[in-house]
Formats: sequence, C-alpha cells, structure tokens
Amino acid sequence: MKCGCEDLGRRLTDLRDGALGESDCAAIEKHLAECPSCGDLHRDFEDLARLCHESERPRMPLAVRRRIEEALK
Amino acid sequence: MTGPSAEELRALLFRALDEHGDRLYAFALRMTRDPDLAADAVQEAFTAALRKLDAFRGESNIATWLHRIVYTKAIDLIRQRGKESPLPEEEDGDFGPEDDRLARTPAWARPPDEILWGSQTKEALEAAMKQLTPLQRAVFTLREMDGMSTDEVASVLGLEPGTVRVHLHRGRLRLRALLSDHFKGVVRP
Repeated sequence: MKCGCEDLGRRLTDLRDGALGESDCAAIEKHLAECPSCGDLHRDFEDLARLCHESERPRMPLAVRRRIEEALK
Repeated sequence: MTGPSAEELRALLFRALDEHGDRLYAFALRMTRDPDLAADAVQEAFTAALRKLDAFRGESNIATWLHRIVYTKAIDLIRQRGKESPLPEEEDGDFGPEDDRLARTPAWARPPDEILWGSQTKEALEAAMKQLTPLQRAVFTLREMDGMSTDEVASVLGLEPGTVRVHLHRGRLRLRALLSDHFKGVVRP
C-alpha cells in the first residue's frame, strides 16, 4: 500500500475503526512513529475521541418523556 | 415473517423510551440544536414508529430503527422551520483537496490537562459541531458520542460503512481545525 502522508491521513479513521488488515496497520503505525505531522494528527484524533467520550449527554426532560408516554397510550 | 402485534409494539416502544430515550433526545438535540425541535423530533419519531408496525417487522434492532426515524424527523423539522436554511450541501463520499487542506491544519497547541479536558473545551466542541453539515454531525454524534459501531451508523443513515468512514473522517478533520483555533486562544505561546 502507498503510505504517504496524504494517503495515511485518510486511513487514520479506517485504522481507528479496525477496518484495515494487519499489514496496513503495521505500515501506518510505522509511519506514525516516523512522521511528526501524521503523529500529531493521530494524537489529536485520539484526544478528540476522548473529549467526545467524556462529554455529558443531554438528558430527555421529564416533560418531554411524559408527552411521549401520553402519545403512545 | 411474523412480527409483534400492535400491542406488543406499543410495549416495545415504552421499553425503548426507558432504555434509549436519553440517547435519542441527545441525538435529536445535536442535530436540531434546539430543545423544542429536538422534543418534537423524538415525539414524532415515537408516534410514527407506532404507526409503522409493518416497517418494524423487518427490523432486528428497535434502537437503530428509532434513531433512523429521529434522524429523518430532525432533518424535516430543521428544513421546515428554516433552522438551517438552506441546508448546507452534503459533500460526496470521496475524499478531495479540501480534506487534504484540513489535514494540514497545525496540530493542537498542547494545553494543560485541566484546559484540554475542561468545560471550556467541551463547550468549544459543542459549538464546533454546529459548523458541521447535518450528515457529518449525525455520523460524528452516533459514532463518537453515542458509541455506535460504523455498521450501526451505516444502518441508521442508510449509507455504506465506507461512506460513513469518509464522513466521519471529514468531520474529525473539521472539528480538529475548529478546536485548533480554540486552543490558540487559551494556550499562551
């Protein structure tokens, strides 16, 4: 596989998603260790995922729940 | 294929409201960016689901099905009420030069942890998400915030998994670029 920076950037999401084969993963991991700008992109994506994971999920207000329960009766 | 009766479906929907109500509301709120529209989208989704018994018979997962209806209702409502009019044109499922330009955005300035993971950054993330297209926002919310698998997101949005990954990648690039500006403002050089 071609593993230049442009191509790799597009494959980082595939990598995070587990959508790549073993050899592609290994080639990307090697590139990430050697290329600071791709390493930064990868690290920022990791931090973005953690931020999302830690973000509070809005809860359905009780009044909305009651409205839906009424509509379902 | 036999499916649930109308009464069984009603019971299933009551259970789904308990188990998935908060997720569905959060999804609708992130799509519409308006608590009233979000409430309407979720309520309309449940009542539409009740009327679509036949449609559910082919479904294996009520949460996926309800998310799909909420997505459709949310898009209808933001169109109808001019909340996001005209809706930004969705980009196609292939990568292009704009994606490469975004990938060259400077890396985040590394703020101290209390800033990186603090409430200001989370608020900046919510604000940045408003700048995604509705489809990017839907993909990103379901995958990154709701924790659905790519296949589940594909099923909700009626897309191929590969197309979901393209929109997800594009959303990540945009959010990274937008948050990069936020960190520039909070981190001293």
